[in-house]
Amino acid sequence: MDARAFPGLDRLSTASGLLALGALGALPIFFPGKYLTGVLTVAAIYGLWAVSWDFMSGLTGRENFGHSLFIGVGAYAAGFMNVKLGFGPWWSLPSAMLVAMAFGLVLGIPTLRLKGPYFALAMLSAAVIMQRLMLIFWEETGGEEGIQDITPLIKDHLHYYWFVLALLGASTVSLAALARSRWGLILRAIRGDEATCLAAGLPITRYKIVSLMISAAFAGLGGALYAHYQLQVSPQLFAVVTSITIITMVYVGGIGTIYGAAGGALLLTIMTEGLRQVGEWRLMAYSVMLILIIFFLPSGIIAPSWQRLRKSLGGTDRGLVGGGPAG
Amino acid sequence: MIYGAVTSAIYALLAVGFTLIFGVARVLNLAHGSFYALGAYGTYLLASVAGWPLWIAATVAVASVAVFGVAVERIIIRPLRHSQLGVLMITLAVSLIVEQALFLSFGSEYRNVPAFVETKVNLAGVDVGGQRLLAFVLAFLAIGLLYAFIQRTRLGSAILAIAQDAEAAKYMGIPSDRIFSLVMAISAALAALAGVLAGPFLSVQPSMHLLPIVKAFAIVVVGGLGSIAGSIAAAFMLGYAETVVAYLVNGSWTEIVSVLATLLMLIVRPAGIFGKRAAF
Amino acid sequence: MRIERRSFGKKALRGLALTAGTLAISGMVNAVHAQNAAPVRIGVPTSMQLQVGRDTITAIKMAVDEVNAKGGVLGRKFEYVAADETENPETGISAIKKLTADEKVDLLIGGYTSGVTLAQLPHISAAKTLYLGVGAASPAITAKVKQDYDNYKYIFRVGPINAAHQARALVDYISNFVIGELGYKQIAIVGENAKWVQDLVPVLSKGAKDVGAEIKLSELFDTQTSDFSPLMAKVKSSGAQYMIVVLSHASSDVFAKQWYDAQVPVPYGGIDVKSMDGDFFSRIGGKSISEVAGNFAVRAPLTPKTIPFFDEFKKRSANYPVYTAFFAYDSVHIYADAVKRAGSFDTDKVIKELEKTKHVGVVGEITFDETHDVQTGKGKANLIFAQWQDKGERAVIYPKELRTGNFMLPPWVKR
Repeated sequence: MDARAFPGLDRLSTASGLLALGALGALPIFFPGKYLTGVLTVAAIYGLWAVSWDFMSGLTGRENFGHSLFIGVGAYAAGFMNVKLGFGPWWSLPSAMLVAMAFGLVLGIPTLRLKGPYFALAMLSAAVIMQRLMLIFWEETGGEEGIQDITPLIKDHLHYYWFVLALLGASTVSLAALARSRWGLILRAIRGDEATCLAAGLPITRYKIVSLMISAAFAGLGGALYAHYQLQVSPQLFAVVTSITIITMVYVGGIGTIYGAAGGALLLTIMTEGLRQVGEWRLMAYSVMLILIIFFLPSGIIAPSWQRLRKSLGGTDRGLVGGGPAG
Repeated sequence: MIYGAVTSAIYALLAVGFTLIFGVARVLNLAHGSFYALGAYGTYLLASVAGWPLWIAATVAVASVAVFGVAVERIIIRPLRHSQLGVLMITLAVSLIVEQALFLSFGSEYRNVPAFVETKVNLAGVDVGGQRLLAFVLAFLAIGLLYAFIQRTRLGSAILAIAQDAEAAKYMGIPSDRIFSLVMAISAALAALAGVLAGPFLSVQPSMHLLPIVKAFAIVVVGGLGSIAGSIAAAFMLGYAETVVAYLVNGSWTEIVSVLATLLMLIVRPAGIFGKRAAF
Repeated sequence: MRIERRSFGKKALRGLALTAGTLAISGMVNAVHAQNAAPVRIGVPTSMQLQVGRDTITAIKMAVDEVNAKGGVLGRKFEYVAADETENPETGISAIKKLTADEKVDLLIGGYTSGVTLAQLPHISAAKTLYLGVGAASPAITAKVKQDYDNYKYIFRVGPINAAHQARALVDYISNFVIGELGYKQIAIVGENAKWVQDLVPVLSKGAKDVGAEIKLSELFDTQTSDFSPLMAKVKSSGAQYMIVVLSHASSDVFAKQWYDAQVPVPYGGIDVKSMDGDFFSRIGGKSISEVAGNFAVRAPLTPKTIPFFDEFKKRSANYPVYTAFFAYDSVHIYADAVKRAGSFDTDKVIKELEKTKHVGVVGEITFDETHDVQTGKGKANLIFAQWQDKGERAVIYPKELRTGNFMLPPWVKR
């Protein structure tokens, strides 16, 4: 494996990544049953969402509180294409990505040049508006109940799971590669000190907008995958809770590391399914967990553990990107 | 319309509290809506469940929420004061925890809070429930009192000083940390009062914190962060806009009004109408 | 560099191991159940937080106890397990998945929100599990039975009568009572913006116009609405003399309170699910006085089973049942009888027998049409309109044959 081909992916990372994917893919073979496959599929989709959030917000420190908007529009795009316009299900994936990217562009332009938490709050407001709009135009969007009867992409649950898992792996790798490239460097510089970047003549707004679009694209992809799994879409997808859950997963994984986000998503989804008896307490647990992590483990759990593991195996210390919420 | 006035008054209460804690401590408190919800639920709990007299229940509820607000400020917000986004995140998490706690304790259905006043009044040909009128009057009083407090008392001047320049105020010996707690208490109390007043005619349910916070944020952005007068003016503007929209078009569009106003104002003039400078 | 055998993150591995262990153990526990005299497991997807959900479960428990007291069916006893579908399609789908894939139930009885049920249908069909609906009214649910019989033959609606039937019942109420006896021709139609109402209102409007009503205002409001004052003001200024409501998920409590507080001079009535709750009147301080709401049964001898059902239910639950309870109770017995007639638990055979159902239940005789939808008509399931009167008493106002009291106007309205 030529280290230069994929910046940031040395043999150790590649091997463990492949091993992890393999283990996850093999799980339903050892423990057959639609239930486990279903849980893992949802976990993988959350992983996709978490990874897409981390790419933008984790690197630039501009935390996006309205990520659910991109998820929702991607899912609704899939719903529209499939049910209202009658396209085959495979058209959903590219359309969802395009629609989400368009939203990323339209929303990014006005909001990304604002400072401070304005971006976070503006995105939050935007997600709330989208949710409302879906309800207001209920005649076209199905209102509270949304769009039903979406055709599954791949009927067999196991194969669909592997498909989603593969997409998660590919997305994580490409986004991680992007993060370690010059692009990622600039994004992280923006996080550090915007003024200096401006002085250096970098078109930071453009970089921010494009990375938001990329983040949106992958979120939208996840949304479409979710739509074809649930076989329906509803305004719930735009909820604040979804954004918070994803942010928690990224924090657990280690903000800014991309692969940490994927790990965090998988870990948390599986854990909460295992704790289904306390189902009602789930959201409560997430919120409490988020608070605890922000206070005590601002670098998350997964990424630091992995870095320590690497060091003990003689690998190079990659260090951590994140360090908690940016100022 | 008269309804617009009542709605606006409640919003004004919420917005003033929100802008206060922001203007003074630079804290964007997303748990503000939770204070509102807790005020309403507290009254419900003490009055309907424990059977206390309504006025006492309400007062105790407001006071307890104020204390809760101070606790949140001390324990959760203060360590993160250097990071605005951190504060945002944490307060959002707190609001979710409160919502879940309410949901687990009381269930997701609407609950009823008995009203303070049961009569109906007819004002200029429009029928208004007595409770709504009371809400309007009390809200007005509360804001008026607050304004007088800030303008006239020494403590009020201290608050203003910190709002203008926290560093200088510290040099002058003003105990900023204690002031922050005080302001938080006032802010939380105002929100709780809004909840107590609105509860009887809106009923309480666990997710009632979300819309108020969106509206409070809208008002504060439109009016100008840190400006009390701006918040009041914006509250009335938005309150009336919503009522008009509900009447002329359809109730569903009302929520969008405030959020759209926020977005537009953020894009066009982040400082708001009365704000002197963009907050960030 | 050595290639590492361990996967990334010790904690992740531990988490996975723990989950795997738990699943393995629960798998073994389930295996113990899979023997010959295994009980029949009934899955109950319902809105457990609401009265409609709680009463569904109580009613099913009641019926299950009765069936088991007779030794079960074909040697197998019944048991049930509930899952919360809330009012939200996402949670609904995962409730179905949990019940079918994880709890491996033999049939499903439940439902409330039409939108949730519609979202669940493809997953129910994929699981090839029988579904007896007891709460959702949208005709779209059973329409699929005709469109795609092979995939959707598992779906039956035992109750309530679907939205179109309900609309026609409302039209009868308007025609014979509101116009016929009260003399009010000008009506306003107000409903929540949910699927079943979207299905119902067009049928209602047309039917009402056909019998001579003038619809001064027709508006659907967002289910989350908590401030109805602009709406009430609109109704008042429209000149309507009577307000027909179509409410289920919306906050009927708040609606009634605000109507009362503002002393809106327009009496209202119609379909109001929350108003079916026994404690509706008392929990809002009596502010729903004079509201007329449709019910599927009252404690009267509609069939020989009605009164015993009400009384037994009250013993178990301290309140009188809401509509889902009647149909849930009947569903269990209908299923048991179908299995007996089929002589087997084989789903396809049971479906054939279910289609032939003629069951005297709590509200009337239950039969299905060709789309597996419960029928309405004389002696069958019908809407009965009852009014909240002083002290929380409910008097049946319509149909005339079942009338138990006189209609009253709101206390502030003079004739």
